[in-house]
Amino acid sequence: MRKPLVFAAGLALTALPAAHLAAHHAFGGEFDPNKPLLLKGKMIKLEWVNPHAWLHIEIPKADGAQACQFTPNAKCEEWMVEGGTPNTLLRRGITKESLQAGTELVIDGYQARDHSLNRANGRNITYPDGRKLFLGSSGTGAPTDGADPTEPPKGRGRGGE
Amino acid sequence: MKIKFGFVIAVACAAASVAVDGQMKNNPSLPRTADGHPDLTGVYDLAMLTPLERPNGMPAVMSDEEAAKLEKQSADQNRALDKAIDGNRAAPPKGGDGSVGPAGNVGGYNNFWLDRGSNYSIVDGQRRTSIVIDPPDGRVPAITAEARQRQASRLAQFRPTSDQSESNDPGLEPAGAYDDPERRPLGERCLLGFGSTSGPPVLPNYFYNNLHQIVQTPTHVMILTEMVHDARIVRMNAKHLPSTIRLWMGDSIGTWEGDTLVVDTTNFTDKTRYRGSTPDLHVVERFSRVDAKTIKYRFTIDDPKTWTKPWTGEYTWPATSERIYEYACHEGNYAMGNILRGARLREKQSTDKQEK
Repeated sequence: MRKPLVFAAGLALTALPAAHLAAHHAFGGEFDPNKPLLLKGKMIKLEWVNPHAWLHIEIPKADGAQACQFTPNAKCEEWMVEGGTPNTLLRRGITKESLQAGTELVIDGYQARDHSLNRANGRNITYPDGRKLFLGSSGTGAPTDGADPTEPPKGRGRGGE
Repeated sequence: MKIKFGFVIAVACAAASVAVDGQMKNNPSLPRTADGHPDLTGVYDLAMLTPLERPNGMPAVMSDEEAAKLEKQSADQNRALDKAIDGNRAAPPKGGDGSVGPAGNVGGYNNFWLDRGSNYSIVDGQRRTSIVIDPPDGRVPAITAEARQRQASRLAQFRPTSDQSESNDPGLEPAGAYDDPERRPLGERCLLGFGSTSGPPVLPNYFYNNLHQIVQTPTHVMILTEMVHDARIVRMNAKHLPSTIRLWMGDSIGTWEGDTLVVDTTNFTDKTRYRGSTPDLHVVERFSRVDAKTIKYRFTIDDPKTWTKPWTGEYTWPATSERIYEYACHEGNYAMGNILRGARLREKQSTDKQEK
C-alpha cells in the first residue's frame, strides 16, 4: 500500500523517490514482506550507529525472555528497529537526551527475513498519538521550520541563501 | 607550475591584484592562505535539488519564480511526510506495502532521517536544472559500443559501481547479486558513499550526509567526504604515481591556475567504475572560490572506452556552519548480515518448494 501522493510533474527532476519511505540498504532483501508487524512498546535505547541507527524497544509478553525495565513485575521481549543515519539527527540538534528511555512508541514495519531475530524496519516510528518522532515539538531539537521564534537560525549555507 | 611565493605574499598583503606565472588574480577580496592562494578551507554542504542530468523539456536555467515554485513543492512534500499519522494504525499489509527500489515491498524508514537538500544550485547567478553543462543538452553523452558490451556482461552486473544510488529491489536484481558481500553495493559495504559522494567526480546523493571538508596546505589539499568518511589527498605540484599503483578514489594531483585549484585524477581501480567507466577514467576538477562562502566546482570526465566524448558538469559548494560527524560504518552494519541471511533463507525456501 503506497501513500497516494500526487506530485507536480516538475518534481520528478528533484530525484526524490516517489514513495513516502526510503532506504539505503536493500531493505527488500533484509525484511520479509510476509511478516508485517505493529510493535507497541517502550524504548530501551537508541543505538546511534552508522550506516543505520537501531532503536531498541521492550514489549511486555508473558513468556518474555527478560524482566521489563519500564513495566514493573512483568516479562518483556526486546525488538530492534532499523532507521536511517544518525548524522541527520545530530545535525538537527537532536541528542541522546532528546528521546528518553521509557518513551512509549508505536512502530509499524516488517520483520527480518530471519524470523529467529526480533528485528524490523522502522517503516513508521511514532508516539502513541501518531506524531512522528523528533518532529512537532520545540526546544527538543526538532527541525527548524521558522515556526518557533526561539529556534536558532538554520545556518544551512545552501545556494540561494 | 612554479609559484613565486615571496612575491605572492608581498603583493597579497598589499591587497592588490597579483600575478602568478602571468595569470592575474583579479579578486583580491577572497580569503587567502599565507602563500597567496585562495583559501578553500571549510565545510561544505552539497545537498541540493539540481540533478546530474537535465530532465527532458527543462531549460538549462530556471527563472527565480520557477525555482521557488519547485523548491516550495519539495518543502511541502517534506512537510506532508512529517505529518502525524494514526497512532492506532494496524500493521502494514501482508505480502508487502508496494514500495519500490531498495525499500522493495517493505518500505524504508521515516522521512525525519533524511536530508535531501532544499534549493537548486546557483552558478554564476543562474539557477541550474542540471549539473551537466557540456554537452549543452545537460545529458551525459552516449556510451560507446564497447562500454555497452562491457556493462551488459554478467560480470559487470555482479559488481555494483560507485555511482549506484542505492540497492535495487531484490526482485529486480540479477541472480547472484546476494551471493556474497562483495557483490553488494559499495555503500551497503561501508566502503564508499552511494551516488559518487566521494568521487571524483564528487556528487550529491540527494539523500543525506552530503557534507565535505577541505583542508589546504601549500603541499597537500584534503577533501574529506562525510559518508563513508573518505579522505582524498591531493598532492600539489606532483607527478602521477606509476600506472601500476591504483587507488579507489584515483591518484589526485593539484596545481593552481591563477585562483583556480585544478585537480587531475587518474590511476583508478576497476572497483568503483563510475557510471560503468574503466580504470582509464580521467577526471579534471576545478575549484574556484566565488566568495567567502561559496566554491564553484567544475569537473570534466574523459574515458574514450566508455563515452563517445568528454563531458563536463558544474555546481556550487556552499559553505555551512554545520559540523561533519564521524561516519563509523562497519561496526554497526547489522544490515549486511541480515541481508545475506535473508538471501540464504530465500534460497532455502525456494529449494524446499522444488523438492515438494
